[in-house]
Amino acid sequence: MAPAPAAADPVLAASGVSLDLGDTAVLRDIDLVVARGEVVCIVGASGCGKTSLLRLLAGLLHPTAGAISYEGYPVRRPRSDIAFVFQDYGRALLPWRNAAQNVSLALEAIGVPRPARGKRIEELLHKVGLDGHAEKLPRELSGGMQQRLQIARCLAQEPSVLLMDEPFGALDAMTRQALQDETLAIAAASRASIVFVTHDLDEAIYLGDRVLGLAGSPGRIGETVAVHLPRPRDQLTTRENPEFVRLRRALHDFIGTVQSDRHAR
Amino acid sequence: MKAQRRRLGFNWRGLVLPLVFLLSVELIAMASPIERDAFAAPSAVLAAAIRTLHSGAALRATSETLITAGSGLLLGFAIGLIGGIPLGLFRRADQLMMVPLESLRPVPPVALIPLSLLIFGFGYAMEIAVVAFAVIGPIFLMTRSAIRGIEPQLMEVSQALGLGLIARVTKIVLPAILPRIFVAFRIALGIALVVAVTVEITANPLGLGYAMTIAQQSLQPDLMFALLLWIGLTGWSLNALLLRAESRLFGAAA
Amino acid sequence: MSRRERLFWTLASVGLAVLIVMAVAKISEMRLVPPVFLPPPQRIWAALMKGLTTGNLAQMFLATIWHMAIGLSLAACLGVGLGAMIGTSAKARAYLMPTLEFLRPFPSSAIIPVTIAFFGLTETMMLAVIAFGSLWPILMATIHGFVTVEPRLKDVSRALGLSRRSAMMKIALPHAMPDILAGMRIGLVMALVLATVGEMLTGRNGLGQALLLAARSFRTADLYAGIILLGVIGFASMLIFDRVERWLLRWRS
Repeated sequence: MAPAPAAADPVLAASGVSLDLGDTAVLRDIDLVVARGEVVCIVGASGCGKTSLLRLLAGLLHPTAGAISYEGYPVRRPRSDIAFVFQDYGRALLPWRNAAQNVSLALEAIGVPRPARGKRIEELLHKVGLDGHAEKLPRELSGGMQQRLQIARCLAQEPSVLLMDEPFGALDAMTRQALQDETLAIAAASRASIVFVTHDLDEAIYLGDRVLGLAGSPGRIGETVAVHLPRPRDQLTTRENPEFVRLRRALHDFIGTVQSDRHAR
Repeated sequence: MKAQRRRLGFNWRGLVLPLVFLLSVELIAMASPIERDAFAAPSAVLAAAIRTLHSGAALRATSETLITAGSGLLLGFAIGLIGGIPLGLFRRADQLMMVPLESLRPVPPVALIPLSLLIFGFGYAMEIAVVAFAVIGPIFLMTRSAIRGIEPQLMEVSQALGLGLIARVTKIVLPAILPRIFVAFRIALGIALVVAVTVEITANPLGLGYAMTIAQQSLQPDLMFALLLWIGLTGWSLNALLLRAESRLFGAAA
Repeated sequence: MSRRERLFWTLASVGLAVLIVMAVAKISEMRLVPPVFLPPPQRIWAALMKGLTTGNLAQMFLATIWHMAIGLSLAACLGVGLGAMIGTSAKARAYLMPTLEFLRPFPSSAIIPVTIAFFGLTETMMLAVIAFGSLWPILMATIHGFVTVEPRLKDVSRALGLSRRSAMMKIALPHAMPDILAGMRIGLVMALVLATVGEMLTGRNGLGQALLLAARSFRTADLYAGIILLGVIGFASMLIFDRVERWLLRWRS
C-alpha cells in the first residue's frame, strides 16, 4: 500500500483566487492546497467554473485576484512539471503525427535530445498499454486509446502534478473504469499529485484522497470531504464500502442543496 | 495573458497603414515635382478620377466593359446551366461527357484570346466569346454540384408524383437549386469582369482595361491609378449589390 | 454505379471524344466552317509535332513553365511566410487585415499596366505580375489557416511551453496546411493565366507570345497546337499538385 501523503508537503496551492471573465464572475475566494502524491477531486455541476479552476492551476489563465503557487513559487505561465489532460482528446492530439510522434512532442518541448527519445517513447507507450500502436495515427485509435495516448504525452513531461479535466467523460463505462484504475496506478508509481475534475460523484470518491465540491455562480468551494477509503482501490469492493456510500450521500446532498438554491433564486 | 479588453466599436488600427502610406506618397510627390511616369500623388489620382468621371470617359469605358462582361456572362451562364442540369441529373450522361469536357477544362480562357482575335477581330464579339468561355466552366461545375446537392427526398417525391422530365426540372429541380444558382451567378460575374478587363488590357481596344493601358502608355499615372481604383470599386459594388439581393431573396437558404 | 458500368461509360466517353474529333475533321473538310478558323485535326496534329520537333514550340512550352515556376515559388514563399506571421499575431491582423481585405477584390490583371509603368515591358515585370497575382490567394488562405488553428491545440502548445517558433512549425503550420494548399491551387491557376498574358504583352518567350504570333499571321493550326500545349500545362500541373497534396495530407481520412 502506498504511504499516505504528507499533509504538510504542499505542491500546488491556490490562495484567495477569484476569476472574472469579461463581465462574468466565474470563481470567488478559492483556497486549495494539493499535497505531494495526493489525489484531489473537484466535483460540481456544469458551468460552476471547474474547468476554469483547473486552467488557473495550470497557468493557462490568470486570476483576477489571489495567486497560484507551485512549490512556493508563483505560477505565471504553464510549466513543464504541471501536465494537463484535456477532455476532448481528439482535438488535443496532433492528427498528422502518429502515436509515437505525439508523445515525442512533449519530449521535444522539454528538450530531450533526439537519441534519447525513442526509448522514452517506448516506455511511456508501454506504461499506458499502447505498445504495438506506435505507428498508428490518432484517427486509427479508439477513444480510450486516444485518451491513453494523451496521458502518455503528459507523462512524458515527468510532471509532479497531473491536472485532468473530465478526462473520461466521453468514454464508455468499461473503458472509463479501466482508465480510472490505470490512472491511480500511474500516480502511485510516480508519486505525482493529481487534481481531477469531474461531474461524476462516484468517480470523484473512487479516485480521490479528498473531494472538493465546487458550486454556485460564481463558483466557491462549498464542501470538502476527506476520503478515508483503503488503497489500492477496487472497482467492486471499494464502491460497496459503506463509507463510500456515506460519502456519496453527503456530496449528493450538497450538490442538491446548491441546485435547489439556484432554482429558488 | 492580458485581462479581457473591452472591444472598441471600430478598428482604428486598420486605418494606420493606409493613411501612413497615402501621406508618405503625397509628401514624396510634393517634395520632388519631377514628371514621373509611374508615380502619382493621391491627390492627383483623386483629381484625375473626378476629371474622367466628369468628362464621361470613365463611364463610357465602364459601360463598354460591363456590356461585354454582361453579355459574355449571360451567354456562358445559359450554356453552362443548360449543360450542367442534364449532367447533374444523369450520372451516365455525366460519365459519357467526361473525357471531352475534362480535356477542355485545363485550357486557360486567356489562351483563347488570340484565337478569338483571329476569328472576330477587335471589338465586342471577340471579348464576349472569351468571357463566355471563361464562365461556362465554373457555372457548369456549380450547376452540376447544386443538382447533386438536392435533397434526395425531393427527387423521390417527383418520382412518386410521376412527373415527366420537363415537369420535374421546372417544378422541383430549378426551384431547389435557385439559391445556389444565384450564388454561382454572383461568382461568375466576378470572373466575367476580371476576364473582360484582362482581355482589354491584353488585346482589345475598348473598355476600362484599354483605358488603363492608354493612360499608362501616355504617361498619365494619376489617371491610371484612378481607373484602377474605379475598376475595383465597380467590381466590389456589383458584388455587394448581388449579395444584398441574395440575402433579400433567399435569406438563410443561400 | 458499379465499377463495370463506370468503366463502360468511361470508354464510351473516349469514343465520344474520338467521334467529336472525326466530326471536326469532316466539318473542316466540307468547308462548313472556314478552315482558317477551324483547321482539320490532322493539320493541327502535324503543326504540333512539327513545332515540338523542328520548331520552337518546345522552347516556348518550357519558357511558360519556367515563368510560372518562378512566379509561383516567389508567391508561395512570400505568401506562406507573411501569412504565418500575420495569422499568428492578433496585433498584425488588426493593422493589416482591413488593408488586405480592401485590396482583395482588385483583379490581378488590372495591376499589369501599373507594373508596366514601373518596370517596362520586361521579364521582371512579367514575373512581378505572376508573383503578385498568385500571392494573393496563397496569402489570404494561409492567414485563414493560421487564424483557425484548433484552440485546443493552442492550449496544448501553451501547456507544453513550446516556443513561438516551435509552436508555429510543429502545430500551426501542419494544421494550416490544408488551407495553404487550397490557396496554392488557386495560385497555380493564376500563375498559368498571368504567365500567358504576360508573354502576350511583353513578347518574351513563351506560349502566350507563340499564340499571338500565330494568330497575327493566320497560322491557325499552330494556334490550336499552342492552345493544346497550354491545356497540357494546366492538366499536368493540376495532376502533380493533386499528388503532392494527397501525399502531404495523407494523415487525413
